[in-house]
Amino acid sequence: YNHSIIKGEAAAIETELLRDYRFGQQQLIEIWGQACAHAITKAYPLSSLSKKQPTVLVICGPDQNGSIGLVCARHLRIYEYEPTIYHPKRSSQSLHQDFTVQCEKMDIPFLSYLPTEVQLINDAYNLVIDAMLGPDADCANIKEPYPGILVTLKQVKIPIASVDVPSGWDVEEPSQDGINPEVLISLTAPKKCAMSFSGKHFLAGRFLPYDIQKKYELNLPDYPGTDCLIEL
Amino acid sequence: MDKMNHSSAEAEAETIEPLRYLSKGEAAAIETELLRDYRFGQQQLIEIWGQACAHAITKAYPLSSLSKKQPTVLVICGPDQNGSIGLVCARHLRIYEYEPTIYHPKRSSQSLHQDFTVQCEKMDIPFLSYLPTEVQLINDAYNLVIDAMLGPDADCANIKEPYPGILVTLKQVKIPIASVDVPSGWDVEEPSQDGINPEVLISLTAPKKCAMSFSGKHFLAGRFLPYDIQKKYELNLPDYPGTDCLIEL
Repeated sequence: YNHSIIKGEAAAIETELLRDYRFGQQQLIEIWGQACAHAITKAYPLSSLSKKQPTVLVICGPDQNGSIGLVCARHLRIYEYEPTIYHPKRSSQSLHQDFTVQCEKMDIPFLSYLPTEVQLINDAYNLVIDAMLGPDADCANIKEPYPGILVTLKQVKIPIASVDVPSGWDVEEPSQDGINPEVLISLTAPKKCAMSFSGKHFLAGRFLPYDIQKKYELNLPDYPGTDCLIEL
Repeated sequence: MDKMNHSSAEAEAETIEPLRYLSKGEAAAIETELLRDYRFGQQQLIEIWGQACAHAITKAYPLSSLSKKQPTVLVICGPDQNGSIGLVCARHLRIYEYEPTIYHPKRSSQSLHQDFTVQCEKMDIPFLSYLPTEVQLINDAYNLVIDAMLGPDADCANIKEPYPGILVTLKQVKIPIASVDVPSGWDVEEPSQDGINPEVLISLTAPKKCAMSFSGKHFLAGRFLPYDIQKKYELNLPDYPGTDCLIEL
């Protein structure tokens, strides 16, 4: 691939998908969340997890990126991982609340607080999925509790996998002192900040209409077979 | 793939309970619960089912196995949910580089279903304005037909045009038919008397009673059902392999 999208383009593509292509937000979040879960099973197969239980901590933000994390957690539960969700700030939109209920009804535990004692996190989970802030977040203005969580994440020893953009990174700039995920799961098309990402990079979400791909000159790679994700 | 046991209370050896085949009422009740109690959305469910159907088609009819020059597939969509599942299936097949053509004679007035139609149109999937009654034209043009006309909620005693006519045509085609959830025209709970004879049945979530007498290739697709519902209805769903969203029964 050789075209990564900038902040405005990511938003423009999504607007077109909703307005012109009549995709629904619920539908898109389901597609992305499922693709994320697939990426996690690829990057961290059940058999590769070192702890006794296949535990995964999924930290979800309040908006779309968080809901994608919720759907990802739900699918991981079906794939027999043991996700635990930390979802400190809930959206008031019923769309996002519905995704929360779906997870609760799958008996996925929700933490009421995140331990600041990093060793507790290192001991309890095999990895952390960062689904806090998406490409639409304003990095200069991250409100609590996310700065605190990011401080904690910078200290964890277990791998972090970020959904779409590593939380706290500017969408277009390489990270200065942000979190350092081992895995990045770009949704639909990679964002500019991913150009300086040196870890394992997946592209997930194989549904984008050809007209949009052409319009934005995305030059997406060929996904293998019927896979919905590809490692870049 | 190894299944990790996280229940320490699993004492006895596993007895495999038989898979449950649903009645019409049970199928409807499960869906109502999913929407009302589990807060799944209809759009979300249709996307899940449609994608799973497309996977089943790629499993049953891999691109490389198609005999015609182009990987053409005819997808016949009904007006309601079963039809929308067909639309989503067609869209995913297009992405997997099949060449679906859709016949969608009666459109729903609900914007939910219309949206799925627009998504397909915007993928440049052709929509037929009529279905040839000359069966040889269908046999020649397509590798297979996907029947997404009538779902388990259809009233088989009262099928309105154009579906009876389409079913007559389908009974004569020589190419394989793959039905979504229930073969159109079959009663949900009875073996078919003289209905269409699909080669493949893709049951969604759990098989329906009529599938007990289905003798073709039977897939179960749609791996998302919460455990509580599975237990409540004693579905005894089989273990899906790995991260697959479908399993051949």
